[in-house]
Amino acid sequence: MRETPNFTGWRATILHREDQTTERLVRQLRLFGFEVTVQWQPLDERHLPEIILVDADQGWSGLLPWKDEQAPRPLIALLGSEAPGRVAWAMGQGAAAILAKPLASSAVYPALVMAVGVHQERRAVADKIAHLEERVRMRPLVHAAVQKIGQACHVDEERAYGILRNCAMKKRLSMEQVAGSILGGAEPLPEAG
Amino acid sequence: MGFLVFGGYMSDAIKIGILYSTTGPYGAMGRDCRDGAELAIEDIAAAHPGRIEPVFVDPEANIDRYLEGARSLLRDHGCRHIIGTITSLARKEVIPLVEKHDGLLWYMCPYEGFEANDNVIYTGGCPNQHLLPLLDYLLPRFGNRPYLVGANYVWGWEMNRLARELVEEACGAILGERYLPLEETAVERIVAEIEQRRPSFILNNLVGPSSYAFHAAIRALAERDPAFRPENCPVVSCDLQECELTDIGLGVATGQLCAAAYFDTVVSPANAAFKLRVARRFGPGRRISSLFASAYASVELCAEAIIEAGDDDPAAIVHRVTSVARPSVLGPLRIDPQTHHAALPFHLGRISDDGGFDIVTSQPSIVADPYLTGQRKRKAPQLRIVS
Repeated sequence: MRETPNFTGWRATILHREDQTTERLVRQLRLFGFEVTVQWQPLDERHLPEIILVDADQGWSGLLPWKDEQAPRPLIALLGSEAPGRVAWAMGQGAAAILAKPLASSAVYPALVMAVGVHQERRAVADKIAHLEERVRMRPLVHAAVQKIGQACHVDEERAYGILRNCAMKKRLSMEQVAGSILGGAEPLPEAG
Repeated sequence: MGFLVFGGYMSDAIKIGILYSTTGPYGAMGRDCRDGAELAIEDIAAAHPGRIEPVFVDPEANIDRYLEGARSLLRDHGCRHIIGTITSLARKEVIPLVEKHDGLLWYMCPYEGFEANDNVIYTGGCPNQHLLPLLDYLLPRFGNRPYLVGANYVWGWEMNRLARELVEEACGAILGERYLPLEETAVERIVAEIEQRRPSFILNNLVGPSSYAFHAAIRALAERDPAFRPENCPVVSCDLQECELTDIGLGVATGQLCAAAYFDTVVSPANAAFKLRVARRFGPGRRISSLFASAYASVELCAEAIIEAGDDDPAAIVHRVTSVARPSVLGPLRIDPQTHHAALPFHLGRISDDGGFDIVTSQPSIVADPYLTGQRKRKAPQLRIVS
């Protein structure tokens, strides 16, 4: 079970021409505690709000200051069109939820909660992938360090791997980090046993 | 489903729809709502003859018939205002139709919050008006290890989810959480678990027959084991009504607690006058529930605003009812222009032997915060190193 979301003091920017949709949206967002800005011009990347809602019917590339689905903030697409190209545009910008137009006021809060949750999940997954990629990149170092330990201690590869792993555990470092230190000479070769 | 146009057919009267189920698992509540609405209509008719014409619809607790009934009220009868629905399920079902016809729904039951629709006026209270002050009262007095029971739909789920969050914020623990359908009366397993886990109190969000059976079973448990007497481990509700206490059985739930914006026993000049009026109409001895009072206040508010405006345009009526507080049996009724919710007082009642509630504690009107945006969380204690 998750905690009751609280948006008090958050800033939201609606990228949409002012009309009945934005009027209704502003009313709901203020009820949830947001400070709301409505604009129909590109967003300034130096002053990003906590959440962004964008007109995906009329939006153009350059309206949002990022590329390749890498939305740095939770993004909600406001969409009346069913055209696949418009849905694709929203996905391409990194939208984490859709609010259908004409807007039902009961749809706004769930979309916000979902967009924030999806955004956090995406960030966590991206961080994890970056971490794993780093480890994969360092794998050749581990292999080289195992070879070096094997030759120095006259043990087979499996045993050398065990020595390296024990050393990493004792130092509370990753195997890649210890391997790098050993190969760079910053770390004395661990002793067998 | 029957349609009844009350008080004959009047040509230039403005029609308002009244949509309550008087049968089914929450029939007792529906009958009270309908009686309250009917009484308000009679009083309006006496003061302003021929101005308001009610159209009553009884969906008999069938969700499809709520939709049918609301559609008929809006489309066939030309009602732009509907007073009604009890469950959140029915309210959510009716709202899209009310939006489509640009009407106004007057919802007057306590509910679980997280809603503020432009086409709805809420006069029944949301959690910061019932559950939060209730837990503020209970946790320091009975302890922070409650057991949660609830009806198996959004009211029970959301009230208990919020209770869990608040209890955990207060460094407490939930000893159990169980759900029952409205008409399920097999409560033995839950009561056995409660007996074994020994909570500080029991938060009861059951509705209808399952709630009545639960109170009876807890009474039997308390007779075996004094630790479960109401003074030690109360069963506490947010929606129990005077009209239900006879269904539970007089004396069965004596001592148990309930939160509400109104009890029959509230001492105020407005309530004294109201009780006399109800006694004249329904006979002496009728206990007025918060639903009865709330339905009366909602119909009165709606009808008076329409009569003053000379028109039932929902936007004009919203503007009228949100711009000034009006006297009502619930106290001065102020509807917030942003949330469309009424500010409501909080009362905690203890069930008495004669089927009423003795008021234990009260708070003056609390402004509704349906999305709990306020400073709900308690500040972390500021610890200082003392050398």
